[in-house]
Amino acid sequence: MAVFVIEDDEAVRDALVILLSQFGHQVSGYPDAESFLTDVLPGEDDVVLIDLGLPGLPGNQLLRWLNALAAPPRVVVISGQSQSAILDAMRDFSAVPVLRKPLTVGSLSAVL
Amino acid sequence: MNDQTVSEARLGSILATAVDGIIVIDDKMNVLVFNAACERLFGYYATEVIGRNVKVLMPEGYASQHDDYVRNYMRTGEKKIIGIGREVSARHKDGTVIPIELSVGEAATTPGRQFVGILRDLRPRKAVERRVSQLQAQLVHLARVSAMDEMGAAIAHELNQPLTAVMLYLQAAERSLKKLNGDSPHDPAIANLLQKGLREADRASSIIQRMRNFVERREPERRWIDIVNLIDDSVDLTLLGANANTVRVRRRYEESLPDVEADPVQIQQILVNVLRNAVEASRGAREPWLAVSTAFTGSSVTVSVEDSGPGIPSEVMPTLFKAFSTGKRTGMGLGLAISRTIAQNHGGDLTVDPGGNGRGATFILTLPAKADAPRRAD
Repeated sequence: MAVFVIEDDEAVRDALVILLSQFGHQVSGYPDAESFLTDVLPGEDDVVLIDLGLPGLPGNQLLRWLNALAAPPRVVVISGQSQSAILDAMRDFSAVPVLRKPLTVGSLSAVL
Repeated sequence: MNDQTVSEARLGSILATAVDGIIVIDDKMNVLVFNAACERLFGYYATEVIGRNVKVLMPEGYASQHDDYVRNYMRTGEKKIIGIGREVSARHKDGTVIPIELSVGEAATTPGRQFVGILRDLRPRKAVERRVSQLQAQLVHLARVSAMDEMGAAIAHELNQPLTAVMLYLQAAERSLKKLNGDSPHDPAIANLLQKGLREADRASSIIQRMRNFVERREPERRWIDIVNLIDDSVDLTLLGANANTVRVRRRYEESLPDVEADPVQIQQILVNVLRNAVEASRGAREPWLAVSTAFTGSSVTVSVEDSGPGIPSEVMPTLFKAFSTGKRTGMGLGLAISRTIAQNHGGDLTVDPGGNGRGATFILTLPAKADAPRRAD
């Protein structure tokens, strides 16, 4: 299973890549949606971890785009924003799990 | 016309034209002159007052002491008010007590000493003072509320990223160590240290959690509000706080705007913030001004604030709405970040046209108005 981490904060992205690799996944990180989309097309067995507050194309737009694929990957949203901002951005995606920062191994492995 | 009649005509004209009340009394405290301004101020016709003791124009406390005051002055020459002027209370015909500023002069005439009183109605000034102190209290309250919210939200948000990274790194290190040495680590001291590090990171994270809960628990109090009132209040607040009487404010409000559903305190926070920036930005202009306008687009109400500053440099634009990005030494530099967050939480937005090349910047606050909302009839 490949895991893609789309997170603009470098340290968070790096730590996520290291930690998830330890679980035995094939992990790659991207600082924004644009660089991710031009690099790879995720398959339905893959997991995409999306930070909501991305520069450029926002996280929920990327989510919308991925959901429109013929075989959409599994998506987990991570966010450091306020509850109301998250609810607002995720209004159309009630089924997608959201993890609020700070993240823990426990909460990550529970959704992966 | 002889000299005396000329001077009498002149005096009559002065008395009739004067904006301030003018009263002349003799040494027995009887009113000799009661001008037109006095008639407006006290509600008496001159004919009702002339010849009567002047204390009819004073509230109880003053009236009973006035005779003594004047007698005392005439006996000792000790001046309590003459040539000084001070704030006293007067009494309207209907009993209303009016704050006035009274200055008294003295004239020696052939029939005896006369006293001239000039009275200014202080009620308009008092009303302004009251409004100013009301606004000041509001400003202090607003600053306090917004400081709490801003600090809480900004700290939670800004610390979350590094804290998340720290926790994940520590957990990764712990797992690496376990993998290296099997389930019984070779060096229990390192595993122990990592555990302690993780525990502390956990503690920091729960502090942030609590802080965030505190801020989020204060859900916005939405109600239907007239944005124009809010703008006017915010303009007053801003000019007051910035001590910026030199900045001209142009207002262009659309005829009838629908109400918007919003938390008035929070929206005022945005408006004051944006207006303050506009005043700041306009400071260097030769004739500083700012323009506030409103518009209704069918689904939303927009409030635009344009300043007469130099515009926003393009290198500042990418971080303009980011917390802690400002170069300003005052404030926390959270204003715009929080303002945008508030606007977005209301389902609206805060955007900017950076201007430049002789144009100032324009901040545009958009708030959703229900399309079928009743339009305000003014």
